[in-house]
Amino acid sequence: MRSNLFLVILLAGLILALVNPGVMAQEYDLTLYSIMTTDQDFDDWLADLEKETGLKVNVIAAPTNSDTRQQKVTTVLSSGDSSIDILEINDEMSSSFKNTGWLEPLQAKVLTDEIIDYFPEGYMEDMITSRSGDIVGVPGYSGYLAFWVDQEKLDKYGFETIDTKEDFIAFAKAASEDGNFGYGGSWERTYVFNEIATFVNLFGGDYFDWTNSANREAIQFMYDMVHKWEVTPIEQIGDKYEQMNQKFIDGKYAMIFMWGTGTEYRNAGRYGEDQIHIAMVPEFETRSIFTDSWSYVLNSASENKEAAYKFLQYVASEQGMLSAWENFDRYPARSDVAKKLPDNEITEMYNRYSEEAVVRGRPMVPQTMEFITQMGTIFQQVMQNQITIDEFLVKAQGFVEEYK
Amino acid sequence: MFVQKAKSKLWIAWILVLPVLIIRGFTVIYPIFETIRISFYDVRLLRGLNQFVGLQNYFKVFTDPKVLETIEFTLIFVISSMTLHILLGVLLALILNMKFKAKKFLRTIVLIPWAMPMVVIGMAAKWGFNNEYGLVNDFIRRFVPNFELSWLIHSDTARAAVIAMDIWKNLPFFAILILAGLQFIPTELYEAAMVDGATKVQAFFKITLPLIVKNIMVLSIPFTMWRLASFDIVYSMTSGGPGSSTELIAYRITTEVFTNLNLGYGATLAVLLFIVMVVFSTTNLYFINKK
Repeated sequence: MRSNLFLVILLAGLILALVNPGVMAQEYDLTLYSIMTTDQDFDDWLADLEKETGLKVNVIAAPTNSDTRQQKVTTVLSSGDSSIDILEINDEMSSSFKNTGWLEPLQAKVLTDEIIDYFPEGYMEDMITSRSGDIVGVPGYSGYLAFWVDQEKLDKYGFETIDTKEDFIAFAKAASEDGNFGYGGSWERTYVFNEIATFVNLFGGDYFDWTNSANREAIQFMYDMVHKWEVTPIEQIGDKYEQMNQKFIDGKYAMIFMWGTGTEYRNAGRYGEDQIHIAMVPEFETRSIFTDSWSYVLNSASENKEAAYKFLQYVASEQGMLSAWENFDRYPARSDVAKKLPDNEITEMYNRYSEEAVVRGRPMVPQTMEFITQMGTIFQQVMQNQITIDEFLVKAQGFVEEYK
Repeated sequence: MFVQKAKSKLWIAWILVLPVLIIRGFTVIYPIFETIRISFYDVRLLRGLNQFVGLQNYFKVFTDPKVLETIEFTLIFVISSMTLHILLGVLLALILNMKFKAKKFLRTIVLIPWAMPMVVIGMAAKWGFNNEYGLVNDFIRRFVPNFELSWLIHSDTARAAVIAMDIWKNLPFFAILILAGLQFIPTELYEAAMVDGATKVQAFFKITLPLIVKNIMVLSIPFTMWRLASFDIVYSMTSGGPGSSTELIAYRITTEVFTNLNLGYGATLAVLLFIVMVVFSTTNLYFINKK
């Protein structure tokens, strides 16, 4: 009798365990995998969205570590997991996934003819349009790998602006004293890609052609910054953005390239015209700058597609873009919405970037993360004198041919 | 009569065990065979590749410089870490076995690092070994004022830092297990040795060490296996850098499978690691049975 009772309890427990997740899932219209949950205004943004769309959104926080984040997204999409409907993915991921069939095309129901022309055409084509012409993501914003300077240091060393390569070098040299450095970077092997490509662009090179002499000049320039002029520390090959930003905030660096609109500096009380602020990117051979975005994508395996379309229509709308600007300081990806923003130093500089600089999407390949890691590894080797610049160029070209 | 009744109810036991057998079969046996199968294929999800290549992945492992560097560091990591675990672990166990006032307190606090998640330790260590902000250099500068070293940017020092953190976290647990063995040694043996005029050093080598050597052997095998499969410390502390000099084999497998989506090649590395683990596991069972 007692054993029968035990069996009944066991079975009841199993049934409850199986049924319960279903009950939980029905409470929400869709599940969002978001990178913005740590933002203090995330709840306000979500409330706006739920109010305007009438959707009840379950939110899963993406890990803050970039490797973990990417691995989780990859696992969900590649395995056909339907537990997440909408995901936020960056350019590295979208260029990897856009041709896999894991992402639902959006041109018919979300990015329709009425609004598609407001999005940056080149970026849309390069980053989130598949070979078959499907647009698979809604850009959440338009960002730049902007140039940031510390005004206190500009004043201290007698510089008004950093407008040319010569200004850049002179300021970097002047500001490199007392254990501080003129230029700071984030040269961890998966992060340094952005800076290598930025300097290649500034010198007028081509990231996919390492026989180009301008590419050599760019690498030589970065090498000289470390070893000849000693204006940037080799120690930064261990640094990701969090370490680089902390050093910039602490006054260890005078200028850097960084994404975003300065939230980290605001939070640290170091943002302002007389402190850290955004500046026009200097002109070397060219005045080039990278643009990027995190895009909202729809998992093909989603079982809540109608709700997901509603969500995506909202984030692609004027209202959705303005909510992202107000809550996350994200500059709208739509040109018509961007024009409606009130003037401030960020919007003014973003306008100047789009008008005066050569704006480019970052060079991506299908196996982007593997390519980025390989390039970062040999870059670290050349900066540590483990290989020569010539060897770097040969290996880099080899990786281009292998992955492109 | 009683035995017959018990046998007739054996099916209840099987029913109760069955869910576990099914779950274990599905989550352990099936993945092992599936991993072995995939290791003979070139599966690259991002390129849409899925073709049979026979032993090609296995040949590639031994000519791939990335993997060879990974194997090199894995061996350095396992051998260095285990050597230090044994030497320092026995030393710490001896200290904890001594009679002194704060013995219980020390035995308690010594386990704190072991109780912390490795990922937390790895992330803290990334800052801890930073030249500017790290507490390691801050401590050294109290004795060497101008000391400057960015531990995690040079291959050798980054490797040393990873090994040091592994020992810092896991040594206390190893020592506590050795301590358990030490406490089984009868005090009469030491008293008899003292009467015969043996010094403390002689007592250690003639009594203590021979009596705990089997404990050390039995403990060393699972600890070695954990080192071989170690992943989280590198993942959170160095991401395998600088270059790929601190990549451990488990980290490379994860990178190949989950970041690069080279499932076939990642599976090949996993199968090779699995074979090594089986050898260690069998050896472990042999020593346990012998004991």
